[in-house]
Amino acid sequence: MDALFLDFFHNTGFYLCDYRNIIMICIGLIFLYLGIVKDYEPLLLVPIGFGMLVGNIPIFKGLGLGIYESNSVLHYLYFGVTQGIYPPLIFLGIGAMTDFSTLLARPVLMLLGAAAQVGVFITFLGALALGFDPKEASAIGIIGGADGPTAIFLTAKLAPHLIGPIAVAAYSYMALVPVIQPPIMKLLTTRKERLIRMEEPREVPKREKIIFPIVAFLLCCFLAPAALPLLGMLCFGNLLKEAVVTERLAQTARTSLIDTATILLGLTVGASTQGDVFLTKDSVFIFILGATSFGVATASGLVFAKFMNLFLKSKINPLLGAAGVSAVPDSARVVHVVGLREDPTNFLLMHAMAPNVSGVIGSAIAAGVLWSLMN
Amino acid sequence: MEEVIKIYGLAAIGKSNGWAVSGVGISIVFSGLISLSFVISQLHKLLNVWEDPSKLQKMFQAKKSVFPSLEDESVKAARAALTVSQKEVIKQYALLRLNLEDHFPLSRLLYLGIISGLKDPHENLNQLLKTKIIRPDKEGLFTWDKTTFDQIV
Repeated sequence: MDALFLDFFHNTGFYLCDYRNIIMICIGLIFLYLGIVKDYEPLLLVPIGFGMLVGNIPIFKGLGLGIYESNSVLHYLYFGVTQGIYPPLIFLGIGAMTDFSTLLARPVLMLLGAAAQVGVFITFLGALALGFDPKEASAIGIIGGADGPTAIFLTAKLAPHLIGPIAVAAYSYMALVPVIQPPIMKLLTTRKERLIRMEEPREVPKREKIIFPIVAFLLCCFLAPAALPLLGMLCFGNLLKEAVVTERLAQTARTSLIDTATILLGLTVGASTQGDVFLTKDSVFIFILGATSFGVATASGLVFAKFMNLFLKSKINPLLGAAGVSAVPDSARVVHVVGLREDPTNFLLMHAMAPNVSGVIGSAIAAGVLWSLMN
Repeated sequence: MEEVIKIYGLAAIGKSNGWAVSGVGISIVFSGLISLSFVISQLHKLLNVWEDPSKLQKMFQAKKSVFPSLEDESVKAARAALTVSQKEVIKQYALLRLNLEDHFPLSRLLYLGIISGLKDPHENLNQLLKTKIIRPDKEGLFTWDKTTFDQIV
């Protein structure tokens, strides 16, 4: 009987536990705390945080429980991540939620979304310099796009073994946008610039909103065909929303479908961060590079907005440049809050949504470009 | 077993063609968004023209007035070359023209010039046509452009 108990004890988590599992469980708890208490991206951090707990329960290998065991339920769910199925579904939902009116009213703001992608390519160079191979460096660079689904999609295609650290880094920094961006915004702009008021955008007719996703899809995908899975779904979702006659489909895409995909993606990505796989030197580098990437992306958006002001008759508030990173709508919200601190009557949220959504398009193009260049 | 030697820093970037990839990548992202931004900025104009094609005609007409034709240039030159005495002769023709209808045959004005004893009537009429003080009405007759006359004389 003692032997039976001993045998059972040897199969429990208490016996199999490793310090790395404990560290990851603590990180998972921090994610849950940030999501639930601090309200930082709860829809992402709560599934990922809980997924970390799931993935770091010490298990006896061979029972078909772990996410990396081919016969486990988690492994089947993780298939949607490794094959890049969930990110396009999330993009479909994002498209069905997004209103491109402000972008259509002032298309020049789209350039800020492009400028912020500089962060992606600078981080790519940084990752190469740290010894990562080009495919891994591309996957790490895309963290600067500040777009979780895009980062996961590209990593699944180019460096599947890095999905865990890259996804966690991308979502952590997205959640920390309100902490990371404001100091950079203040550092790179003067008070006078932060007080600039934006012109009221024109009213955009419905037919323009309907035509936009079709034109954007054709133009961008002809230029960068590898962006098709993400941009195709984003534009399709937006067309469903704007076409009105497909409201029922749009409703599903922006509620049940995106929620289902987010739950499965968040949970399995979290579960993929098993201590023994996740806690490596590479993960530390990825986190450092991810933070750099976010900072550079924010800075390049701000600097480019100031550069544009040299030529524009009607000046833009350079804070909008920070919204070029595509963390929708958090970075737009941060721009709004920083603007309000300077002038409580200057409402920038609506204007910041333009570079914000163009950042989504920009990061999808950047991912497509990196994917095609690496193949 | 073959040992893999990892390289770092600028050497690693150069070996992986990193500079070129970054340059091409950022250029493609910018070109994509710049072209999309341009198309969007023209979209509402295109839709307006689609809805009302006469706007296209108006746009071209407006452009025409912005860029003067060669004929306009020659008219300007002819007006600028008028001497004081030529301007005096034009004033006399303006008086003669009062005896005519609004739309008149050129031969009638020539006749009035001859019988009034004005010097070089053919040359003077040519001057009036060149400066567009007299304009064809496209029905075989001519009209006197009072606005042009006032501007010149």
